[in-house]
Amino acid sequence: MAGWLAKQRIVAQPGFNRWLVPPAALAIHLSIGMAYGLSVFWLPLSRAIGITAPAAGDWKVSTLGWTFSLGIVFLGLSAAVFGRWLEREGPRKAGVVAAFCWGGGFAIGALAVHLHNIWLLYLGLGIIGGCGLGLGYISPVSTLIKWFPDRRGMATGMAIMGFGGGAMIGSPLANILMNHFKTAASVGVEETFLTMGAIYFVAMLCGAFGYRLPPPGWQPAGWTAPPQANAMITKRQVHVDQAWRTPQFWMLWVVLCMNVSAGIGVINMASPMLQEVFGGRLAGAIGTLKDLSDAQKVQVATIGAGFAALLSLFNIAGRFFWASLSDYLGRKRTYFIFFSLGFVLYALAPTAGAAGSVPLFVAIFCVILTMYGGGFATIPAYLADMFGVVHVGAIHGRLLTAWSTAGVLGPVLVNYLREYQIGHGVPAAQAYNTTMYILAGLLVAGFVANLMVRPVAERYFMTDAQLAEVR
Amino acid sequence: MTRRWVTVVVAWALVGIPLCWGVYKTLQTAVKLFR
Repeated sequence: MAGWLAKQRIVAQPGFNRWLVPPAALAIHLSIGMAYGLSVFWLPLSRAIGITAPAAGDWKVSTLGWTFSLGIVFLGLSAAVFGRWLEREGPRKAGVVAAFCWGGGFAIGALAVHLHNIWLLYLGLGIIGGCGLGLGYISPVSTLIKWFPDRRGMATGMAIMGFGGGAMIGSPLANILMNHFKTAASVGVEETFLTMGAIYFVAMLCGAFGYRLPPPGWQPAGWTAPPQANAMITKRQVHVDQAWRTPQFWMLWVVLCMNVSAGIGVINMASPMLQEVFGGRLAGAIGTLKDLSDAQKVQVATIGAGFAALLSLFNIAGRFFWASLSDYLGRKRTYFIFFSLGFVLYALAPTAGAAGSVPLFVAIFCVILTMYGGGFATIPAYLADMFGVVHVGAIHGRLLTAWSTAGVLGPVLVNYLREYQIGHGVPAAQAYNTTMYILAGLLVAGFVANLMVRPVAERYFMTDAQLAEVR
Repeated sequence: MTRRWVTVVVAWALVGIPLCWGVYKTLQTAVKLFR
């Protein structure tokens, strides 16, 4: 078994089609992407004892929500800690371990529901599952970049698009399964966890066993590496232990953290913001949400859910679109667009709200969400351009701590600011304005950090002897 | 050569079909914004 997983065993035979690698990566990313859809379980789990309504001893939705937060924190931590191990042992072994962690996390989650033990749920889906997220997320990155030296952005964009799309499959599937398994004595989550854990385990194993590494010196047929005309794309290599000592690493850390913080902030408040800013107008009535009838409130909430769904579509489309476009524009220019266009759009959103233009408001946030997804998908190629491909998976893993940070920073900033303003008498419809300006300020910080990214200094590159040792 | 491409098409279908289903289900929710 260990031999099947070894890095040396997965070097592709002559004639291998490189287009088999992206679906293998997608199988893993579509599985772990369900992390974003875990909230679909919280409401049924909040009445696991009472079944029809929450009873004494039932978990609160806010208590269950910590499972997701733990998952994202452990995603960043495990990617940072195990990235170097991944580069040494190869993507297949990492993918298999990720399958055990993510699939096993669901199985432990099922046991936690059976025993009604919240700490076991945190351990299973949050901590162990989170490690599966981190390992699964970074497992295909360097492999894809090596197979697609001519289209680095597009290749990693395809995989990372899968992470955005995982919840689109997982959430409706979970609803179908919970409806199938629920009985008078059960909400059906335990059985759904077991079923989905098994599906993800098999899908991720298929993905991991689909990984192949290109032979040393392999290049796409008919393609030759361009001469060193672009100083922002190095042909040399930086070791992962040196990379985090460079200013470039920390500039890119700030770039990712600011882009994600602003985006997560918007995702969290998108649906309530639309409802509170436009109020009754969404239901063809006059007045704020408080003035509406129960039927109109349901109608407005449905429209809010539609808005959130539309944003998720633009989020995954942006991952592929912007990452692919970055192959032609260059990474620095792509992030220049994210931050400058993003700044304008964030600053314009309150005006669109004040003008009462729903289409303009929706369009602004759709474009913003493409750039949020694009930021995730373009960063691996940016790292490969700056630090080379040998340790890019491990370097990417360490950079993902920026995501963990943003996962806390973005929602805290948005929620705190909103409550602070409402507490000081600002009407709910206007409470988002200052937040949007502050999120635009985060983008300015990202813009400056991106502007400061320069080619890596000579002293950080690996020597030929060090490279030979790694290979 | 053709057999290799068949494998590629099958591999893409295995991940593409679930993804298209997910996008379709999401679109069903998203259209409520425009009704």
